[in-house]
Amino acid sequence: MFNIFKRLWQVNWAEQWQYRANLAMYILYWLVSPIIYLSVWTSIATANGDVNGLTANDFITYYMILLIVDQLTSNIIIHIFGYKVQDGSLSGELIKPIHPMLTNTLVNDIAFKTLNMMLLIPIWIGLTLLFKPQFDSVSLGGIALAIPAIALGYAINFLLSGIITSLAFWTTRVYSIHEFYYALIMLFAGQFVPLQLMPAVIQNIARVLPFQLFMYLPIQIIQGNLSAQEITQGYVTGILWFIAALIGFRIVWRRGVKQYSAVGA
Amino acid sequence: MSSESIIVEQLSKTYQVPEREGGFGAAVRGFFKRKYKDVKAVQEVNFKIEQGEIVGFLGPNGAGKTTTLKMLSGLLHPTGGTANVLGFTPWELKPDYLRSMTLVMGQRNRLAWDIPAADSYLLAQAIYRLSDDDYKKTYKELDELLELEPLMKKPVRNLSLGERMKVEIAAGLLHRPKVLFLDEPTIGLDISGQVKIREFLREYNKRTGATILLTSHYMADVTALCERIIIIHHGQLKYDGGIANLSRRIAPFKLIGVRLALSEDEGLGDSNGRDLSKYGDPVQNEEDAEKVYVRVKAEDVTKVTSRMLSELPIHDITIADPPIEDVIERAFNE
Repeated sequence: MFNIFKRLWQVNWAEQWQYRANLAMYILYWLVSPIIYLSVWTSIATANGDVNGLTANDFITYYMILLIVDQLTSNIIIHIFGYKVQDGSLSGELIKPIHPMLTNTLVNDIAFKTLNMMLLIPIWIGLTLLFKPQFDSVSLGGIALAIPAIALGYAINFLLSGIITSLAFWTTRVYSIHEFYYALIMLFAGQFVPLQLMPAVIQNIARVLPFQLFMYLPIQIIQGNLSAQEITQGYVTGILWFIAALIGFRIVWRRGVKQYSAVGA
Repeated sequence: MSSESIIVEQLSKTYQVPEREGGFGAAVRGFFKRKYKDVKAVQEVNFKIEQGEIVGFLGPNGAGKTTTLKMLSGLLHPTGGTANVLGFTPWELKPDYLRSMTLVMGQRNRLAWDIPAADSYLLAQAIYRLSDDDYKKTYKELDELLELEPLMKKPVRNLSLGERMKVEIAAGLLHRPKVLFLDEPTIGLDISGQVKIREFLREYNKRTGATILLTSHYMADVTALCERIIIIHHGQLKYDGGIANLSRRIAPFKLIGVRLALSEDEGLGDSNGRDLSKYGDPVQNEEDAEKVYVRVKAEDVTKVTSRMLSELPIHDITIADPPIEDVIERAFNE
């Protein structure tokens, strides 16, 4: 199995590398919205002294960490995989003795992510010089504690996106469904606004949803804002969602492949 | 264990195709309630193929060849009947089955486009769990037969069509499949390219004892490789047997094509309109409108040709086998 992933990595890495100019444009596009939120919240906090106890520096560090965490937990499988179903190129992969989504697509996404990080890091350093965040509350221990949460966030996001992408077996409208999913992430993962500024109702909902693992939870762990109990709660919720997403994915995938092979692969 | 590697019984596939009339009203109605039409692509087909056989699978476009190959390779669920390949039910997509067969579609690429084939081959080695020794041995054999080495380091997109086909076919064979489903493996290739692939398949079959089921539009592929052919038409099995028998039924025909030299006052239309029916059955050929074709019994070809040469102002003359589509059409629509 390790050998398969090693070879998949070589192929996908070489392929992604071909599209590095494309990636640079993608990164610039993707950077726009977090930087807008960062700027808006920072200027409000500066004008008022703070927003519900959050200072300008809190917002800056929040969004600077978000840039990294979001990049690590997000995925592009809707783009990698959706069209393969529609144009039939999935057929060649389906008759290979490995799972197309959990091997090839996964590795392709990780290769994409790795290249993105290589582009993002210099930009991130530049932004640090521009916004001058004070990472006083960030500790190595916090980062170490957040890494499993980021991995869990990535896994859940991948599987949920995988479920949505698998809907391509039935409908060509997966992109609009995915847009809706993305809107949920924007709201409940804490991209528009750090979740602690949301009304209590939304915070309570967000706590039982998986989306906070994509951004808010790891960021808060890194910032050292959470108690041991809150962190444990976050992890438990995440693990439950991971199991649910895995089961859901397997069911949808199996039925989807059956559907695909019923209508004409 | 029986020596049959493929057993197909009553295999059927009916597609439901959405159907609507043109126009706005129909589009709106179609949005709420779709109508479907049943298209019977394959109807209750039966055949058995012995291990090591090379069988040509023929039929006009839309006859159900590709649908059948897709079912046998596991990509499609049938709507009826059963198939057993190497003891497996293909559409269960069991990894052990997928490791022992291959499907090569001439019009589809399986190799990554932007990187050299060598990388994709190493990936295949890992996916099919081939030991280094096995992989190297198979690769060496394929390289001997197809001269792959010079093509390995270039990105696949920079290969010519013929080169790409070689690399694609070899990629499908690295795991030494026991059953090969080949859909138009020579499509788009020039004659020497076709010959190379053909020779390769024959040699591969001899060396490995693999079972091969192939479709092709080139009669030469089939006559060179297959002793047995299966013909389907409108999804139904029409013929299953030796190619020699079929030839006796249909090959007595040749096509003679002539281009007539025009005198200056004679328009092309007159030339086309010239009645050649006294030489044989006139045949329409849309690809080459300047030529007029007649279908002639094989034993009469010499006679008719010399008559035409003496009686007509011939500019150019060709004698050819009728295209396979015509042969099949003719054999079963008569």
